[in-house]
Amino acid sequence: MNGLRRLRIVCQLGCLLGFFWLFVATEYRGLDELPYPVSLLFRIDPLAALADFFAPGAFAWRLLWPALLVIVATGLLGRFFCGWICPLGTTLDGAGRLLKSPGGRPRPGLRKIKYLLLLGLSAAALFGVQVFGWFDPLSLFLRTLTFSLYPVYNLFANRVFDFFYDHQLPLISDLVNGAYPFWRDHLMAFQQPVFALGLFTALVFLAVLLLEKFERRFWCRNLCPLGALLGLCSRHALVRREPASLCSDCSRCQSACRMAATGSDGHARSECVLCFECTEYCPAERVRFGFHSREGSGQVDLRRREVVTALAVGALVGPTASIAPAAASADSYLLRPPGAVAEDEFLRRCIRCGECLKVCIGRALQPAWLDAGPLGLWTPRLVARFGYCEYNCTLCGQVCPTGALRPLTLEQKHKTVIGLAVLDKDRCLPYARNEECLVCEEHCPTGRKAIVFEQKQVLVRSRIKMLKIPRVVGKLCIGCGICETRCPVEGRSAIRVTNENESRRKRDGLAWKADEKRPSA
Amino acid sequence: MNRRAFIRRSLQVAALTAVGGLPCLDLQALPAVAADPPLALRKGTDIPRLVRETVAALGGMRRFVKPGETVVVKPNIGWDRTVEMAANTHPEVVREVVLLCLEAGAGRVRVFDRTCNDPRRCYRQSGIEDILREIPDKRLRVEHMDRRAYHELAIAGGVKLNRWSFYRPALEADRFINLPIAKHHSISGLTLGMKNVMGVIGGNRGVLHRGIDQALVDINQVVHTDLTIIDATRILVANGPQGGRLEDVEVRNTLIASPDIVAADAMGTTLFGLQPADLPSVVAGARRGLGVMDLDRVRMV
Repeated sequence: MNGLRRLRIVCQLGCLLGFFWLFVATEYRGLDELPYPVSLLFRIDPLAALADFFAPGAFAWRLLWPALLVIVATGLLGRFFCGWICPLGTTLDGAGRLLKSPGGRPRPGLRKIKYLLLLGLSAAALFGVQVFGWFDPLSLFLRTLTFSLYPVYNLFANRVFDFFYDHQLPLISDLVNGAYPFWRDHLMAFQQPVFALGLFTALVFLAVLLLEKFERRFWCRNLCPLGALLGLCSRHALVRREPASLCSDCSRCQSACRMAATGSDGHARSECVLCFECTEYCPAERVRFGFHSREGSGQVDLRRREVVTALAVGALVGPTASIAPAAASADSYLLRPPGAVAEDEFLRRCIRCGECLKVCIGRALQPAWLDAGPLGLWTPRLVARFGYCEYNCTLCGQVCPTGALRPLTLEQKHKTVIGLAVLDKDRCLPYARNEECLVCEEHCPTGRKAIVFEQKQVLVRSRIKMLKIPRVVGKLCIGCGICETRCPVEGRSAIRVTNENESRRKRDGLAWKADEKRPSA
Repeated sequence: MNRRAFIRRSLQVAALTAVGGLPCLDLQALPAVAADPPLALRKGTDIPRLVRETVAALGGMRRFVKPGETVVVKPNIGWDRTVEMAANTHPEVVREVVLLCLEAGAGRVRVFDRTCNDPRRCYRQSGIEDILREIPDKRLRVEHMDRRAYHELAIAGGVKLNRWSFYRPALEADRFINLPIAKHHSISGLTLGMKNVMGVIGGNRGVLHRGIDQALVDINQVVHTDLTIIDATRILVANGPQGGRLEDVEVRNTLIASPDIVAADAMGTTLFGLQPADLPSVVAGARRGLGVMDLDRVRMV
């Protein structure tokens, strides 16, 4: 194994481990501000930058400047990101080994799909529909970790720990039980994560892995829109391969290259991920990479008709998807995390990466299926019956890599209205059954409580009884949802948070303004 | 043994046999309520001194903690609130009580609470985790609740509850020291010692709020408190139990301590200008023999 190739493998594994570590660090561990840039993976993601670029409002320079560096570096060096850094690429390399990807001649016709996909997605984004995140390999990787693999790992680890806890085996149990607090505090989620789309997300990921059965790096070669973007950027890259075409006496490169970058039409710079494997398997040791050669092609083999079709389809997706009524108005229980920008802009900025869902301390956020509109798949929604928004926590805004969730100071957070709690008087115990219960009032976190009670005389079995009856004070409620989470009524809560009154909604002059309506909490 | 005693004993044996198949706490084994329980009330601004004086008035911590025993110190860490908001027990009170236990020779001191907000945030924000981490003693453990250690028990003689899940380490400890903070609470009126014990039970605690007074007595009959120290260095007089506004906090520089949890709570009501009879859980506790609520029958020390 030569030096460059070894360096590449070390870099791949190092990045993978690094991203795993940042992933595990995406959790509250005693500090209000996360000490690490846990969403680094997306801040270096050019596709996230592209999505953000098309969104209304200013480009999030503060967050996404590293992605532009990656683009510049790609322009100079080539598609090194795919071969050296991308965690999905590394995973697929590993999967390819396990699944024994076949060699043989590639199907170059498939390769253009990724460019057409990129063009279509871009046209759609320009016309108001941004779903880069569905296909972004980094989003795919991280949300699979968040929604599926990490919950499974936690469940499994907990089962193991529980076994040794419940069955006192001499020596082993003491050891395992002794390790449990450390493991729980540093290597596991504090509470078992549970996500609605865990299985679906895992199946998508599994499908991408299984494509390795057909070709090595099938996803990266043929489907990945990020690869396409980086490929386009690297057309004039300075690092070039020599020889740039197949040698007449040997065509090993044609079948052995993981990206099928070298074929009868030469070495395609926009496909080469600089893995440097060819420098090794070349029997004559002819292959060199360097800045010297002027040969080679950077061309991307696309027909004009295909390009026009992809752009047109993309542009039409926007208006077509907008035929349906807006999900937020159809579903008054559709809540977004605090700090979310207005729904339209939110959908166009969110790249469905799952970072906010990972970090949410109260397990309040769930990935949406089709319940947030057809384009809302995998976007975060706050489901207050599962968990609530912790009053003094600002983590989701800190991890969002695209500004779909704005970072909030604690003071801003206390005034940010996610929604409005509404009592269901047919279920609420004091109203419906004359029973005493004020759990919602007890947990309401605002300084002046947004849930108050009034004493009323009620007649219970012909005896007069004083009963405390809860009432929501609309001007004080921030919609954190703890009342809905804690409501002791079984099944659907007797108090539910609607998206009425949320801060991010554009309002007419008559309505409350979120900033004015609460003095100091 | 006269006839009446014979019948009573027979019934007790029969009842115990009947529930023998269940994992059941023998409520008959509760120590009899002392006729005139001692109670100490002290004031002072120097919290460590205040704690020491109050406990010394009751005869010192060695009266409650014997060498080698496992002690659970159970403060209120329920809310994600800072010290001055008076939603959690004052960290200095907790530290001093822990130090007293360690000095008395406790084999192990465990501090925990089942919080209402996120446990990690509550432990930190209350200041309790940080202040206890500074004590360099291996016998002390500040720990989060272990979800596996809850244990469902039948409550023989329970009025409101006949089964509930309890936190085993709290039951298994040799001594249970209860460190509530005195607060306003809109459901139970006030939250004092008996209410604080809700921090070592499992289950959906929300449903207990229907008929909470008898439920509190049921729970307190299972979890026996050896010493209650009510932290009234500052109290929350409105918007309890979690507060959040300094306007609702009153500084009182007071501690109340007694081995009798009902007596301690009864005295606690006077902090808020109430009588013991105004707090239904105190009345229910006294009626069911958990302790003494009549402050004239309490021996002030």
